[in-house]
Amino acid sequence: MNKMQHHKLFLLTMVLAVLHAAVIFAGFVAPYDPATQNREFAFAPPTKIHFTNSAGQFTWRPFVRSSKGDEVGHSYREDTSELFPMRFFVHGDRYRIAGMSMSVHLFGVDAPGRVFTLGTDSFGRDVLSRALYGGQISLLAGLVATAITLLIGTFLGGLAGFYGGWLDDAIMRVADLFLALPWLYLLFAIRAFLPLQMEPLQAFLVLVVVIGTVGWARPARLVRGVVLSARERNYVHAARGFGASDGYIVWRHILPGAAGVIVTQAILLIPQYVMAEITLSFLGLGVGEPVPTWGNMLNALMQMSVLQSYWWMIAPALLAIPFFLGYQFLGSLWGEQVARVKP
Amino acid sequence: MRYILRRTLHLGFLLLGVSLLSFFFLALAPGNFLDNLRLNPQISTETVAALRVQYGLDQSALMQYFHWLRSLMHGDFGFSLAYNQQASALLLPRARNTLLLTITAAAVSWILSLAVGIWAATHRNRFLDRVISLGTTTLLGIPDLLLLLLLLLLAARTSILPVGGMVSLDFEAMSFTQKCTDLAAHMMLPLGALVLGALPTLVSHIRDAMSTALQEPFLMAGAGHGISRRRLVLRYALPVAANPLISLIGFTVGALLSGSLLVEMVLGWPGLGPLLLEAIMSRDIYLVIGAVMFSSFFLVGGTFLADLFLYWNDPRIRVG
Amino acid sequence: MIFSGTTIRRHASWLALLAISVPCRGAAQEISKKPPLEFLRTETPAGISGGRLVVSLSAEPKTFNPIVLADDASKIVVGSLVSDLIHINRSSQLPEPALAKSWSVSPDGRKYTVNLRRGLQFSDGHPLTVDDVLFSFQLYLDEGLHAPQRDLLIINDKPIVVKKAGPETIVFELSKPYGPGVRLFDSFAILPRHLLESKYRKGELGQAWTTAAAPAELAGAGPFRFKQYVPGQKLVLERNPYYWKVDQNNNRLPYLNELVFLFIANQDAASLRFQSGEIDLLSHLTPQNFASLAKHAEARGLRLLDGGASLEWNFLFFNLNDNKNLSHEITRKQAWFSSIAFRQAVASAVDRPGMVRLIYQGKATAIWGPVTPGNKAWLDAALPQPGRSTERARQLLRDAGFSWDRNGALLDSRQQQVQFSIVGASSNPERMSMATMVQEDLRQIGIHVSLVPLEFGALLHRILDTHDYEACILGLGSGDTDPNADSNVWLSNGETHIWNLHRKSPSTPWEAEIDDLMNKQASEPDFEKRKKEFDRVQQLLAANEPLIFLVSPHVLVGVKSKLGNFQPVVMDPVDLWNVDELYWKTK
Repeated sequence: MNKMQHHKLFLLTMVLAVLHAAVIFAGFVAPYDPATQNREFAFAPPTKIHFTNSAGQFTWRPFVRSSKGDEVGHSYREDTSELFPMRFFVHGDRYRIAGMSMSVHLFGVDAPGRVFTLGTDSFGRDVLSRALYGGQISLLAGLVATAITLLIGTFLGGLAGFYGGWLDDAIMRVADLFLALPWLYLLFAIRAFLPLQMEPLQAFLVLVVVIGTVGWARPARLVRGVVLSARERNYVHAARGFGASDGYIVWRHILPGAAGVIVTQAILLIPQYVMAEITLSFLGLGVGEPVPTWGNMLNALMQMSVLQSYWWMIAPALLAIPFFLGYQFLGSLWGEQVARVKP
Repeated sequence: MRYILRRTLHLGFLLLGVSLLSFFFLALAPGNFLDNLRLNPQISTETVAALRVQYGLDQSALMQYFHWLRSLMHGDFGFSLAYNQQASALLLPRARNTLLLTITAAAVSWILSLAVGIWAATHRNRFLDRVISLGTTTLLGIPDLLLLLLLLLLAARTSILPVGGMVSLDFEAMSFTQKCTDLAAHMMLPLGALVLGALPTLVSHIRDAMSTALQEPFLMAGAGHGISRRRLVLRYALPVAANPLISLIGFTVGALLSGSLLVEMVLGWPGLGPLLLEAIMSRDIYLVIGAVMFSSFFLVGGTFLADLFLYWNDPRIRVG
Repeated sequence: MIFSGTTIRRHASWLALLAISVPCRGAAQEISKKPPLEFLRTETPAGISGGRLVVSLSAEPKTFNPIVLADDASKIVVGSLVSDLIHINRSSQLPEPALAKSWSVSPDGRKYTVNLRRGLQFSDGHPLTVDDVLFSFQLYLDEGLHAPQRDLLIINDKPIVVKKAGPETIVFELSKPYGPGVRLFDSFAILPRHLLESKYRKGELGQAWTTAAAPAELAGAGPFRFKQYVPGQKLVLERNPYYWKVDQNNNRLPYLNELVFLFIANQDAASLRFQSGEIDLLSHLTPQNFASLAKHAEARGLRLLDGGASLEWNFLFFNLNDNKNLSHEITRKQAWFSSIAFRQAVASAVDRPGMVRLIYQGKATAIWGPVTPGNKAWLDAALPQPGRSTERARQLLRDAGFSWDRNGALLDSRQQQVQFSIVGASSNPERMSMATMVQEDLRQIGIHVSLVPLEFGALLHRILDTHDYEACILGLGSGDTDPNADSNVWLSNGETHIWNLHRKSPSTPWEAEIDDLMNKQASEPDFEKRKKEFDRVQQLLAANEPLIFLVSPHVLVGVKSKLGNFQPVVMDPVDLWNVDELYWKTK
């Protein structure tokens, strides 16, 4: 790897690390508890952060003003009488990290001021806080499901492609079956039979595992195709001639060829699974309220009126895209390495 | 020939398996078609129970399955509980509309993706390539429904394209050319939605496969021989890259079929989508099974064709 | 055209005989021999004939057959194709003559004598006579057909007996007087014997009048008749030239030439097409769409109308089933649920105004009982409407032996934390939002609530079959403004007595009193007495809170300003109840 690539990889990793840290330490970065409803501030637009006070002077410490909405929560106006300076490392709602209960937040303002950096949702809950907490579950779900799918898919697809014959036939037929079945009802059934007392999060994870498990068919097919052709390459025949075992051939010669397809699949699957959660929420298979996920937050956006009037509700997508971009660039950089593709 | 025969047999078994398992899943989830009546204070439980018997919903899933199989022998796909009609009579006219949309979308997305993907692979890591990557990733981060609503908004604001439906209200009174333009205008929006949904996957895979193929040493040899770059890429590199792509073709129609459900529902295209989504939510079992059979047929047919194509295209596989 | 009474009487008998014995299909030569139609004259302002109305439906109709169970879309369409004997005027909420020109009730309240109009014809020209009425009720009462309306004709466990009492008279005999009276006849469509009898005899009635049927196979006495159906796209109805109503100027109704239903599943898409003028009428708007359409409505020639609180009532309830198969967890929690003070505390803590504001943008009404403000006759104005008060909730809990630990969590008398789950139908986002707000409200008084969204079938399974739930948020829509329609919810042995099902006898004194009152009002002919009885039922419900009533959404409709005589109401069909009187103003 040359110096330029090294540099890029380092930068990329740093950026991704910061993003993930923000999500993992959501309790710290987010100013509010994600479940607190501020019912007088439903669909409040992002709070304006001012750097110049009423006298027109610039101050280093940013501040916000309070705002009031009308009867049904539209047209918020700023109330210029009071100003609330933003403070950093303040004490706020309690949260738990790694078993410890903390109350220090990165920033905040004194009550009754509110700093809704990305506005609020229909119940007046802070969108930034919810988006950060939501990332924990959504990313976890996406990564877990993708990992399961790729593990099973690569294994079975590789098996089918490498050994061919009846094994290939059998696995591919089962793959067709998996592709064609309407899994929705199975998901409904599983959800219906989960015990009432199960934590909403656990119930959701069960569904995520199921979705990951049934999705192996497509990567399996793609991997099989690549393995099939890689198997017949000259260097594979040569290696066999030298007495190489199956395992060695797969690890050393076949997998690198398939790596491109696998990584591409991973980059595509993670966002798809994260976003699939929207459909799950829509169908009632999502996490129960008030737990935020990117999926159920974006669900609220699926109405024209919200789309037109409350643009800040797209925050989860805006937050998600840098993650997906990061994964993609990481994937393509790594893919280049493994497949020895020249830039 | 024997291979084709074997695969056709597989298709038959597969469809049987899908039907059996689908019945099983449907039976597993609690509730049935008559649920809505149960909360109606004006209808007695006796009536609901009698209706259950009438519709055969009181029998075990296995018995219902055998009844369905038997009617399949007679050539019908089962009976819609909601419509009191043959499922096939309901599915076929709408299937025609869905296929019109999906096949067009498949063709357009492949042509577009090939163009973009090949270009991106040959100009890898240039600025525009990065922009394309950014574009596809952003598309992935936008949920389908959101995309549809945005398209709807765009159409409404600009008033160039009709906002939904397949034809205008006075379609019957139009001349032939007018009918064609009307249909085409109405197809723009759903087509756009489907193509945009399919682009990220296709472009990513094509770009990736082509990049890998472009590394092959024989291409350098070809360049040394003086073969033009375009010929190299299209005539020599593409067939090599085609391997994973052909598998993907098999998926495309199937994936577009399931994607079209939502598109049709939101944009009002009179295909299988709205019919199916309602049937699924209301547990109109035979209609759902009929539709599952239909899409399975296309899905498996697609992979079958893809496998055939794979064998034809990559001689290395035939040796093994 | 008004013939003298004697002319009609002289010709009546053999004309009727002719009409029945000679089945005909729109034969023009018969018209001169038929008695002239005794029209119903409406009282609405006269309008102008002509034009087409385009209405949006969110789902396709599944069938045109009134005997088969029908979904909402089918009901709307079929409602425009058929007529009943006595119809409840959706605006006044009172019964008025329809195909019947008059009726009388016997002094003991057990016999209704109904007089059919003379000269009625179906939409294909065939005469509509007493025999069609008898045939129709035979279908509705047939035990083998299982018509969903059959249960309405069973009074005191005995089906109504229908008899012909003259060439234009039918007698309905009940085993007991019926409180709601002739409201009974609403929506019992009179069906054509000449088209359906052969199918009925062959046992194929269930397969008759599907959406695949040809227009010639259908006939009804409604304002419109079936013209064309394009699957997935639209349904076209055309004016029925034989309709039996005229306006103030003796012009035959309906005014409109065509009624077109477009199938648009997604309301946002429908809103856009309404804005662009493609659709004339759009109902069941969400409050958000209503608000955004209202912004530029006048400029676009549109009117957005709020019809007030509908007949839908949403509520929260607890599992009070004393079923031996319930899990230990649920039985333990029922110790809290069965305490009236606990339920009253929860009722005090919920934020109804917040729900109205946040979920419905103000387009809903808080309710404290099953009778919503839209129900003109039955609303009990004296019913208490206590506002939200967390102090009162805490006080009630304190008095009932609950306490709070140092974290603010509520503890019962045995020092166990109070927490439970609320199940709800995930397909209804408004109710799930209500549940979210209730969850937060109860957090304020220390109760930890978890929400379990379930698919509708799974939800019903838990509530009605296994009783494996703790609390639930649900909504019901009354079929009629008359509370007798919902009896099965209030009666202890009723099949929709959801908080405590499968009971042979009442489990509490107040439920016993409700049973008594409901049985009384079911056969009480005097309205004032019935009202008093049901008022008392409402008071008992308010005092004991088996259902904690939340909000009732409003009827929200959008229509083009030029549509005359249009007025939304709360009884279904909220927009097309007077479709025969709608017309296009030229100005």
